[in-house]
This record gives sequence, structure tokens and C-alpha cells, in this order.
Amino acid sequence: MTDPGVYLMKLSAFSRMLHLEGLKVSPGETADAARILAELGFESREQVKTALSTIYAKSREEQAIFSRVFDGFFLSEEAMRKQAKALAQQDIETERAKEEIRESVEVHDLNEAQMDTYANMPRETREKLQKILDKYGHSERNPELYTNFIHSVFAKTLLEQQMRMEDASLGGEALDPDTGLMYRDIAKFKDTDIPKAISIIQTLTRQLNGELTAKRKRHGHSGKLDFRRTIRKGLETGGSLYRLKFRKKRNRRRQLVVLCDVSGSMIQFSEFALRFIQALNQASESSRVFLFSENMFEADAFSLENMDLFRNYVKDCGVYGKGTDLGTALERLCSMVPAALNPATTLIILSDTKTVEQHRAAQALLSAKRMAGRVLWLNPLPMGHWPLVSSVQTFQSICPMVSCNTLHSLAEACRKLTFS
Amino acid sequence: MELEALKKKLDEQKYVYDETLATVLTVALKLGRPLLVEGAAGVGKTEIAKVMAAALDRDLVRLQCYEGLDESKALYEWNYQKQLLSIQVNMANTDSDTLTKSLFGDEYLLERPLLKSIRSEKPVVLLIDEIDKADEEFEAFLLELLSEMQVTIPEVGTIKAKSLPFVVLTSNRARPLSEALRRRCAYLHIPYPDLEKELSILRKKLPHVDDRLCVQVATAVQKLRSSEAILKKPSIAETLDWAAALDALGVRELTPDALRQTAGFILKNNEDFAVLEQEEEETKTCACGCGGHHHD
Repeated sequence: MTDPGVYLMKLSAFSRMLHLEGLKVSPGETADAARILAELGFESREQVKTALSTIYAKSREEQAIFSRVFDGFFLSEEAMRKQAKALAQQDIETERAKEEIRESVEVHDLNEAQMDTYANMPRETREKLQKILDKYGHSERNPELYTNFIHSVFAKTLLEQQMRMEDASLGGEALDPDTGLMYRDIAKFKDTDIPKAISIIQTLTRQLNGELTAKRKRHGHSGKLDFRRTIRKGLETGGSLYRLKFRKKRNRRRQLVVLCDVSGSMIQFSEFALRFIQALNQASESSRVFLFSENMFEADAFSLENMDLFRNYVKDCGVYGKGTDLGTALERLCSMVPAALNPATTLIILSDTKTVEQHRAAQALLSAKRMAGRVLWLNPLPMGHWPLVSSVQTFQSICPMVSCNTLHSLAEACRKLTFS
Repeated sequence: MELEALKKKLDEQKYVYDETLATVLTVALKLGRPLLVEGAAGVGKTEIAKVMAAALDRDLVRLQCYEGLDESKALYEWNYQKQLLSIQVNMANTDSDTLTKSLFGDEYLLERPLLKSIRSEKPVVLLIDEIDKADEEFEAFLLELLSEMQVTIPEVGTIKAKSLPFVVLTSNRARPLSEALRRRCAYLHIPYPDLEKELSILRKKLPHVDDRLCVQVATAVQKLRSSEAILKKPSIAETLDWAAALDALGVRELTPDALRQTAGFILKNNEDFAVLEQEEEETKTCACGCGGHHHD
């Protein structure tokens, strides 16, 4: 690449790609990158990658994104050959699959997008679909019903395919073993991942607490002059009131009420979320934690002190592994004397919205919303799955819901919660 | 400075580096950008500034950050006592304008690390250590220095750098740094060294220590670091201390006894000691009947 114009164009396109991937790339950085490439040359691919990463990526997370984009954009010759071969193979496969479906279904029944979807399906799914077509296809009795059925099967498969792609992209950052866990679905953590996840949570909460301290310091005084301290400080400068001292503002912290679903599928997420909330010692003045599945009871602060024993505690309490009845839990919470909810409290619900008697739960949630100052729902289901779950839509219309299926999104939710 | 020239200088300092580190340092030097170094405690972030100062034959000016650090500690301060004395002495002087002007001269200015680094005739290496410990206001205050290489003192005006310092900022990520600061810096993340690098460091820093012991120490440290149960991962400095301690005790082979006696150099938590003991128990009862010796 001897012509500077060519590599400048490539670099500009690369910068745009990084920008699209969420990196904040300024023209100044692209100019720096051009300058450094002109000096270092292009002999070593790794050297170019490191140099550009130094300029463009400003954190470990950004480095992971950069690495992915770089590897996709600046392909080595060997990788290009491999990719071309794979593409050619894929084209042959696609054509073969399209041929298969043409033989089974009338072509006018399927549009091009559906044909492509079929061609890109895994072999097992295609075989399954073929069986359905063999069994129910060529029905002469009701052709319209047959067409609708075929279309609905394709629509469902297409949606599942999209969901799978979203899930796969979540693991994109998993290239980096340390930050990868941050972006993986909590529900898919293996037992061996849990100690690492806990240590990540500890780091994140330390960071959040640090940010909170900084925020409090930033708004350190209430504007009222503290005469006594100002005069005393002035003695150091011969009585001149050189530095003014101000009164400290009293911090009014929020009271948190956490309603935590500990049914079988939720225990992992609840444990992680509670670790976050418990560790945010500066976020709230006081917090009460209620655990529920079919029944509800209040967890005492002493038991939550050591989160390593949380699972045993939940099992001992007899609520583990049962069904979920959010309606009963919320009704009991609202009827507590003295009241658990008041305008100064923030109610946080940790649940995947799957509950018995959805209508009763929605009514109870409305009552709770009227009583509490604020309600926030932390949902461990990935956002892409929300349109498929009717209960999510019901509860989402009542209170704000945040998707927290990864440690990263859980940390973001806690950051929003503590800084708002 | 060219990459090869820098590598040569680093070699002269007996510094163990990899290609990534050398490239990043070259890029930062060529662009005149501050270098933001992140990584766990004890991976050698501060050492980079020290080595660069020695390699470039520059003075090292260090600013240690902490909560509450402000410009009077980092940039400059007026010598109030001296100013007050001067006022008393010149009480009879009726030309108040001249008197006031004279009070804000160089004579009364106490230079702190940041000002010192940019007023130095010879370029220096400025180390701003643990920037994440400082408040956000201080971080914002640094922006002018990092991007324009100048500072503004209200009574004096803008002071431009006489020579461009090579700035190294280090952070343990106790809190996330602002985007504005990050954007002004070249970025480097240092992970814990792999076995090969750790061994090279041990060999270079402690050439008198038996090579077999070095290998055993490096292997043991790698194992401790990879263990999820160990809360405080051993740093490079601790590895060096441990190897030196073993050598001082005349230990030639890292036996379980030697490990137990000197574990305080490498583990700094009660919980971590418990993990070590537990692992030792498991080794003792291992099926091969080796009696707890180290397996390769």
C-alpha cells in the first residue's frame, strides 16, 4: 500500500466502523493514527494493531471492541483466502437448501427473505421443518390454512433465529476472558464462573461507591458560610479571610425496599443483584429485603451480611424451588403495618415477571406504585425476548423496567438507580 | 524516538518488556501524548515511568494522587508567610500597585510537581500516580495541562511548557476516569505477566538466585494467580521479594515447608493462607503417594 491516499481512505473507513461499534472516535485520533502509521509502516500487522489500539481504544472494554473490528476489517491474506472459501461453500449450501424447499413447497408461498431464512437454518431445524411439511403439506382440503400455517412456522423460526443472533453478539466481548464475563447472560454462568463473577461485582461496587463519594464531594457545601471555621482558618494567614469554609450539606439518602424473587430459575440472578445492592452502602439510608416465591418473608440484615451463605439461607427458609406468586407478595407488602412503603422509599423488584395470576399481580403492582416514591423493575430476561412474554408487557406498562441479564447491564442499572 | 532505539534503551535499563509495551511507548512518545496505564496493583505501572525517565535520561517528577488533592498541592501555592512578611517590611511604601505586583512574583511562588515539570528547561518524565484516587475536579483541572501543555495561574496568567514532559498517568480503576481525560491519553493496559515474562524478570532482577528456584517460584506464583480462590493476587514486586527471601534463607528448592515459612511474602490475607493450607492438604493426600512433592 504505497499510495498514502489509499491507506488514508481505509483508515477513515475503519474509524467510521469503530464509531458505529460505539467507540468515540474523533478526527484528531484518525489524524494521529495516520501520522503514526506513516512513521511505523505496515510491515508488522501486530505492530499496526497495537499502535492503532493505543490511539483509538481507551479502556479494556474498548480494546476488546477494537480488536474485534480490526480483525474483521484488516484481514490477513490467509484469513481472506479462508473467508472466500467459506463464502463459496456457504453459497453452495444455500442454493442446495433453497432447492430442497422448492421441491417441498409451492414457490409462490414463500418470499425471498423466508427462503434465505430457511437456507441459513441449522440442518436439524431444516430437517424438523421438512418433516412438518411432509406430514401436513400438500393438503388439498384447505390450501389457505396450509399457507398460513407455513408462514407462521417461518415467522416463528425467523424470530428465534434473530434472538439467537442477539445472544451470540452478547458474547462478542467474551474474547477477553476478564471482561467477557461482564457481557454474558447471568443465567448461562457455569459454576466455575461464579467466583470470578463475584470478584467482578466487588470491583464494580467499589467503583460505584467511589463515584458516589466523588459526587457527594462535588456538591460538598450547601452554600452557607461557616464563620467559625473561616475565621479559624484565617488565623493561618494573619487574620485575612483568605479561604472561605462552607457548611456541609446533609445527605438525604433513599430508603430501599427490595422485593426479590427466589424461585428456582431466579436464585442466581437474585443473589448477584442483592450483592450489588448490599454493597452499595452509600446508596441508601436503610434497605429492607423481602424474599418471595409462593410466600413472602423479610430477610434479616444479619443473614444478608454474608452473601456466600445466601443460597443456604433461602433453602432453610423454605421458599426455594417453588412457584412464583408476585400478586400475593405485593399485596402483603402493601398491607404491612407499620408501612414498608412510603413516598421516601424506592421499591426494587427483582423478577423475570413470570408469575401466577398475572392480572392480580398487576393490580397489586399499581397499589404498590401509589404507595412507594418510585418503583423500578430489574428483569433478568434479555430485552430481545420481551416481546414474546406477555407478562413483561403488562408490568412494563405500569413501572419502568430495566433489562439486567448481564453483569454489565446490572451495574448500569445500579448506577442509574444510585445517581438519579 | 524510533522503536528499535527505544528497545535498546529499555534493554540497557534491564527492563523486561514485550512488543506491545514497546510499541505503545513509541506511539506515545512520537505523538507527545500522555500515557494512561491501567492494570491491577503491582503489575509495574509506576515502574514504566521510572524506567522511561532513566531510559530517556530525564528527571522523574512524581505527583502521588489522593482524595482531596487540589491545585495548591499539585500545581502551585503562594508563600503566604513570606508575602505577609514582605507587606510588613514594605509598610512605608506608598506605591501600592508595585507592592501588590511584587507580591505575586516568582519569589513567592512555591512550585509543585505539575508546575515544576512544565517550567523545567530540560524535559522531564511526569508521573501522575493513581489518578483514580484523586477527585473528579482534579481530573478536570488536569485537562488543560494534558492537552495544551500549559497551566493558568489567575495572578500570573498562562504558563506554557518550556519543554514537553512525557506524562505517565496510572490508575487501578478504583473509579472510572472521565471520557475527557481518557481521550487525551494514549492507553495501555498491563495484565499480570505470563510465566515466561515473570521468569525473565526474576532472572534479570535477581541474577544471583538459583535458576531452578526461579522457575519454581514463577510457576507457583502463576498457579496462585490463576486460582479463583485467592483474593489478593501476588504482584511482581511480591514475587521478587519472595524469591529474594527464599534465597536469603538458603532455600534451593521450593518444598511445602519452605512455602509455608515464607508464604507471608506472597500472600497478604488470612483467607488466602487458608486456601493455601487447604491446597497443601489436598496435595498431601494425592493418589500417587508422592508425599506432597511438587508435580510438573
